[in-house]
Amino acid sequence: MYLELNNINKNFGSYQASKEVSFGVEKGKLIGLLGPSGSGKTTILRMIAGLESPDSGDIILDGVKINDVAPSERGIGFVFQSYALFRYMTVYDNIAFGLQIQKKKKSFIKDRVTELISLIGLEGLEKRYPHQLSGGQRQRIAFARALAPNPQLLLLDEPFAAVDAKVRLELRSWLRKMIDRLGITSIFVTHDQDEAIEVADEIIVTNNGKIEQIGSPIEIYRNPDTPFVAQFIGQSSVLKNHVELIGFENTEKDLNAVIRPEYLSVYKIGEQKQYQLALEDGIVESVFYRGSYLEMQIRVKGMLLTANRSLTEAEIKVGEAVKVLIYRIYLFDDQSTYLALNQAIDDKDMFYI
Amino acid sequence: MVHNMIGLKKKKRVIPGFGISMGITMTFLSLIVLIPMVSIVITSSKMDITQFLQIITDPRIVAGFRVSLISALIAALINCAFGVLIAWVLVRYDFPMKRVVDGIIELPFALPTAVAGIALTALYSNNGWIGGFFAQFGIAISYTQTGIILAMIFVGIPFVVRSIQPVLEKLDPKYEEAASILGAGRGTIFFRVIFPEIMPAMLTGFGLAFARAVGEYGSVIFIAGNTPFKTEIVPLLIMSQLEQFNYEAATAIALVMLIISFAILFFINSIQVYASKFSKG
Amino acid sequence: MNIKKNGIQILLISIAVLFLFVMLILPLAVVLTKAISDGWAVYAAALSDEYTIKALSLTMQATVVAVVVNTAFGLFAAWTITKYHFKGKQLMTTLIDIPFAISPIIAGLIFSLTFGRMGWANGIEDLLNIKIIFAVPGIIMATIFVTSPFITRELIPVLNAQGTEEEEAAALMGASGFTIFRKVTFPHIKWALLYGIILCTARALGEFGAVSVISGHLRGKTNTLPLHVEILYNEYQFTAAFAVASILVIMAVLVLILRNIVEYMGKKEGIKDVS
Repeated sequence: MYLELNNINKNFGSYQASKEVSFGVEKGKLIGLLGPSGSGKTTILRMIAGLESPDSGDIILDGVKINDVAPSERGIGFVFQSYALFRYMTVYDNIAFGLQIQKKKKSFIKDRVTELISLIGLEGLEKRYPHQLSGGQRQRIAFARALAPNPQLLLLDEPFAAVDAKVRLELRSWLRKMIDRLGITSIFVTHDQDEAIEVADEIIVTNNGKIEQIGSPIEIYRNPDTPFVAQFIGQSSVLKNHVELIGFENTEKDLNAVIRPEYLSVYKIGEQKQYQLALEDGIVESVFYRGSYLEMQIRVKGMLLTANRSLTEAEIKVGEAVKVLIYRIYLFDDQSTYLALNQAIDDKDMFYI
Repeated sequence: MVHNMIGLKKKKRVIPGFGISMGITMTFLSLIVLIPMVSIVITSSKMDITQFLQIITDPRIVAGFRVSLISALIAALINCAFGVLIAWVLVRYDFPMKRVVDGIIELPFALPTAVAGIALTALYSNNGWIGGFFAQFGIAISYTQTGIILAMIFVGIPFVVRSIQPVLEKLDPKYEEAASILGAGRGTIFFRVIFPEIMPAMLTGFGLAFARAVGEYGSVIFIAGNTPFKTEIVPLLIMSQLEQFNYEAATAIALVMLIISFAILFFINSIQVYASKFSKG
Repeated sequence: MNIKKNGIQILLISIAVLFLFVMLILPLAVVLTKAISDGWAVYAAALSDEYTIKALSLTMQATVVAVVVNTAFGLFAAWTITKYHFKGKQLMTTLIDIPFAISPIIAGLIFSLTFGRMGWANGIEDLLNIKIIFAVPGIIMATIFVTSPFITRELIPVLNAQGTEEEEAAALMGASGFTIFRKVTFPHIKWALLYGIILCTARALGEFGAVSVISGHLRGKTNTLPLHVEILYNEYQFTAAFAVASILVIMAVLVLILRNIVEYMGKKEGIKDVS
């Protein structure tokens, strides 16, 4: 493992920001630290950078314990949420800053800065000041500035939080491409699942200062280890009486149950010819247009389920009586989650996300 | 005033009472500020250019301007250096009695200038607590330009400190963190990252301290000694002309001073406009 | 690195404190020391001297009048500028600030030019049968002039930060101007107003340059306390001069303490910037 955190604990006064945090990052991977606000993910990032010190535990980078190494000597690049570009320096000077500290030759600096500026696609803007640039441009410069001194590790703190929605999507794929090209080990913090899923090789889910799960996006999505992950990832809704659902009568009554839109399908009456025995009756209570699909809420046996329906299929209206096919639900107790499949459907039927 | 009343008829204002408020304000303003100021205009217009130039190019007057401006410049520069230091220490560090230290900064504003004047003179005179020490080495402070500069430093202390303090307090720590992670040491961080951020405030404080020093009378007049060509300051020159009822001469000198004051005010305003570009957007 | 940081910290703090001690504290100490250097009896005699008391009374008079007048002016001016839109607002703000920006000697000059022997408004003296220059009214007017911006300058930022929405809401509900001011605006500006009054008072007490020009230095008649100090000093009555000065020093320290208290109370109530 290129970067290792072992049993990190951090308290701010009586508030515990990090509890027994341990994980490893392989060289060259892009890791996403995902969790709700206040879950401790930014604290972890800042401790790796040296902006905070852990109360206990070790941080090891490339085999060297860096707990007591000053931030200025760790060789780490950091991109702040609010960019933190030096307001009174030009774009050129901002990017050149780290190299000037390293006392590199002027010609070397010029070459490197020019190279980076064309890498981020901002040729011609060298002499501008941050206040003359858009949010997206500033974010790219912050990125270039962090990369200029050739760091061994790149950290990004919610890099797209301060940017417009549309620009965010563009920057996201741009970041992925850039990091792939450079091959630099990177960790970024986000509270946006879509971002984590799209960009990261591996996701670390945090909650309340603890790590809930580490895995690839698909693993986390399909096989949540903990109740928190089951509910946090994807659009989950809680089911009150899951044993009343067809095909799930034999599941344990006392467990909590959670379902996602991907795990059920909604059909107009007569649309679905197969699995007649497994279909539930439902009434559509609301329909929302989500841009590329329809989201609807359906009352089944007193429980409100959320389902998605493609725009290419026949329209379903509010108040309509429909049929619902539930493929799987997640059950969980305090310790772990269990996947329950609809017993009324044949085993041979596969379900793809 | 009439122009504004017409404006009232054209546009309806939500909050009532514009007429009265404006009326009373304008009355006050006229009585307290405008009418007296008009005198300068009237007296100046009575003068002709040659007379004006004769007065202000008189060697003694020129010497007075030289003493006032150079002393004020040196004093304001010293206040800049110490002002940055004091503001830094008050914002970034903790130490016993910090609240007290913070509280006495405004002393030059609270203390009557005449009191400051005699106190400083006594302190730096040849048998004063500090003056006596330097007198041993043959260095005189009171009644020299050094004394003038010291008095001017005194009156300007609050300006730079209080201009910089709020800026330092609100400065986002992220800039320093970013610089630190990029490898910068504390010194580099201060000079390349922090200093540019406080420069506009420092310049504003400098301008205010300078303007105050040039126009200061009570604090400086006692310690100056008032030797013609050596330690005469411009306010004194105006005063002497007035004592001899040479109103035109006094006005001429005052005019030059006013021009200098307005130039400084304009300078300060420009800095603030320039700086606000960088911090917005 | 921690040890090095502490070393530099201590050095910087020491320089700052030393500078302030020498520049600010020592002068105060000199006044108090010299005031009592000839003993308490002399000190008391200087303070109870007839001219001292007359000077004190004149200073008080001028201060009270200046503060009252400028409080009224400040309230109206700040209200007008911040609650309404009109052309020339910037000009008005600049005009209000003028007395703050010009030298006190020039302030005195202005009044001399207006009401002095050669002044264009000299006729008023005969008209109203009062003397202005070299007399008490002149002193009071000059004091009003130099202290006029203080209250406005404190109120305007607070009122600007507050905005006009609350007042507009009240107006739409039918409240009269005065009611709006009393119930909606005033609570916001309590501390800023008090702060401005304290600054105004301090400045009025200490005014020297402007009144120096127009006072005529007539003992017992047109001497304010600071002018009295000057006269004693110029007559080489140093101990007496410092004794009278000590009164002003004590007042100044009181002003500083009051100012700090008001600033603290203002911050506590969530007002961002009283100063």
